Amino acid sequence: MAGETSSETLSHPSKPAVPVTYRNVTKRYAGQESDAVHDLSLEVAAGEICVLVGPSGCGKTTAMRMANRTVEITEGDILIGDASVRNREPAQLRRQIGYVIQQIGLFPHRTIGENIATVPGLVGWDKERVSARVEELINLIGLDPEMRERYPSQLSGGQQQRVGVARALAVDPPVMLMDEPFGAIDPINRERLQNEFLRLQAEIGKTVLFVTHDIDEAIKMGDRIAVLKEGGVLAQFATPAELLMAPADDFVEDFVGADRALKRLALMRVRDVDLWEAPLAHVGQSTAEVVAKLEGAEVPHALLVDSDRRPLGWLSERDLTSETVPKTPDSTPNPILDSDDILRDALSDLMQAESMYAPVADPDGRIAGVLSVEIISDFLGSPAAMVEEHAAAERPLADV
Amino acid sequence: MFELLAQVEIRDRSGGDCVTDNGAFCFGWLSDNWDRYVDPTIEHLFLVGVSVIAGFLIAFGLAYLSHRRRWLQSGFTSATGILYTIPSIAFFALLLPITGRGTLTGLIALTAFALQILYRNINTGLNNVPDDVKEAGIGMGMSPSQLFWKIELPLSIPEIIAGLRIATVSTVAIATLAVFAGAGGLGGEFTTQIDFKTNVIFASLICVTMAIIFDVGLLILQALLSPWRSAAVEGKTRSTRAFGMFRRTAT
Repeated sequence: MAGETSSETLSHPSKPAVPVTYRNVTKRYAGQESDAVHDLSLEVAAGEICVLVGPSGCGKTTAMRMANRTVEITEGDILIGDASVRNREPAQLRRQIGYVIQQIGLFPHRTIGENIATVPGLVGWDKERVSARVEELINLIGLDPEMRERYPSQLSGGQQQRVGVARALAVDPPVMLMDEPFGAIDPINRERLQNEFLRLQAEIGKTVLFVTHDIDEAIKMGDRIAVLKEGGVLAQFATPAELLMAPADDFVEDFVGADRALKRLALMRVRDVDLWEAPLAHVGQSTAEVVAKLEGAEVPHALLVDSDRRPLGWLSERDLTSETVPKTPDSTPNPILDSDDILRDALSDLMQAESMYAPVADPDGRIAGVLSVEIISDFLGSPAAMVEEHAAAERPLADV
Repeated sequence: MFELLAQVEIRDRSGGDCVTDNGAFCFGWLSDNWDRYVDPTIEHLFLVGVSVIAGFLIAFGLAYLSHRRRWLQSGFTSATGILYTIPSIAFFALLLPITGRGTLTGLIALTAFALQILYRNINTGLNNVPDDVKEAGIGMGMSPSQLFWKIELPLSIPEIIAGLRIATVSTVAIATLAVFAGAGGLGGEFTTQIDFKTNVIFASLICVTMAIIFDVGLLILQALLSPWRSAAVEGKTRSTRAFGMFRRTAT
């Protein structure tokens, strides 16, 4: 790993991720009778997100923290790549493992740029290299470059969380540890940050150990999920689809919840289902034309789009009483879904807006189709869902 | 006896009506005699400066030690607390057989007095650093000393400077007693000519001005050393332009 500090490349492609292996890892705190983590063995493939999930007190955070030795291993071993963490100097080891915690823990007295530059500073990068890397990361997390000089207290919670991720990525570590990274964020921003992180992960392909107590988050984020029960015992280690369809025991079944069918919605993205088509209308178009298109259309409402086919709003009956399509439709399209959204989030957005239909935009913001509540209920009822979700679970974020 | 001699001296030097009547404030006398306050003021500044700096260095050392070894904290707090409680005049008396009359005795007592305030504030500052910030620092691979100098100490600056302000201002006042240890300072003016109003008022005025200058100076220092705090305030209320100005000078 010595080569890492001397490497001269600035705009490097991410370094290849490495697997992380837990070999019969046990943690027992002094003076405690039972183990906090008991004989845990896991193989996390390079570039995968492995979620550790379980009720509070199940040892999931302890299990994760042994990987960077912020908690010492009692028995067993953890390998990063081929190298055991046990014979590494802890501070050195930690500099090569990205670390994101729930409370984010940005340094309040350092600017955003200085926060991101923490680990590069510790491993002794020169100034130009650090500066270029900070700029690159600020871009990567989609922050305004002028934020670089701000202090953490001047940023919103969501922005701070992004900076926390950028800071963890600063020296391009092959492995990241994330301890309930979205736990302190409100639900709406959490959904967005989760999506952002999945998109980012598709680009950088880190090996991630991700701790959460929220099974929905686990299903959404994980390539594989390790369910732990009290005493740090591994109950099941499986893909999200396997977990939902074949829980290993009563504990997992209970933990996953009675609404397993509904949770399968988290395995599919909006772009994976057959969307409906709505009649499209442009400003100034004759309404007669639009009304004609409405006959027999899948969606019984016309959608106003701009010249780039970006959705502007639904046209109401009243809009269609005039000669030509008016500029401002009566109802704005709320929500507009993203083709990358998981079906569960899309459904909850529809419910929140009390809407039957929502236009779906592709990554460029153009209309890709319309999602209806009916599509989702059909999907839930169809046996095909089972087959499809397998495919989706294997690589839910392959082509972003 | 001092008093008598002094009164005689004053009358010898200027004899105006105001002085004989001991009026509220004799500007005429003061304009002839302001130079007699220069040396005591310098002595006073020296006493305050040296004792606060020495107190700070000792308190910082103690706080550094007890930050690493938590069990020392209560012991240090009690010990510095006892030093703080001993009345200064009694302290001088206790020291006289050891260090004799003079500046050293005054400095030791004043340093001991400042120690408690400074130690407590440095300690509070270090203890108040949020756990998540420390956890993040350790998790990113900072050694204990890197964590201390790069994270914990800078984040404690507001509390540390608050302590310095209280310690300095109180020492300016307490240092007037150093004259009983033979250490000079503005206290000499009070004790020798306590009945002469102009003298008492003017010597007090020098003390007050000194305290205010130290206080404001430290406040400015704090704004310079902790720009992130004013940034936080600015971001929320946009009403502290002065701090913003200091921040710009700092960077």
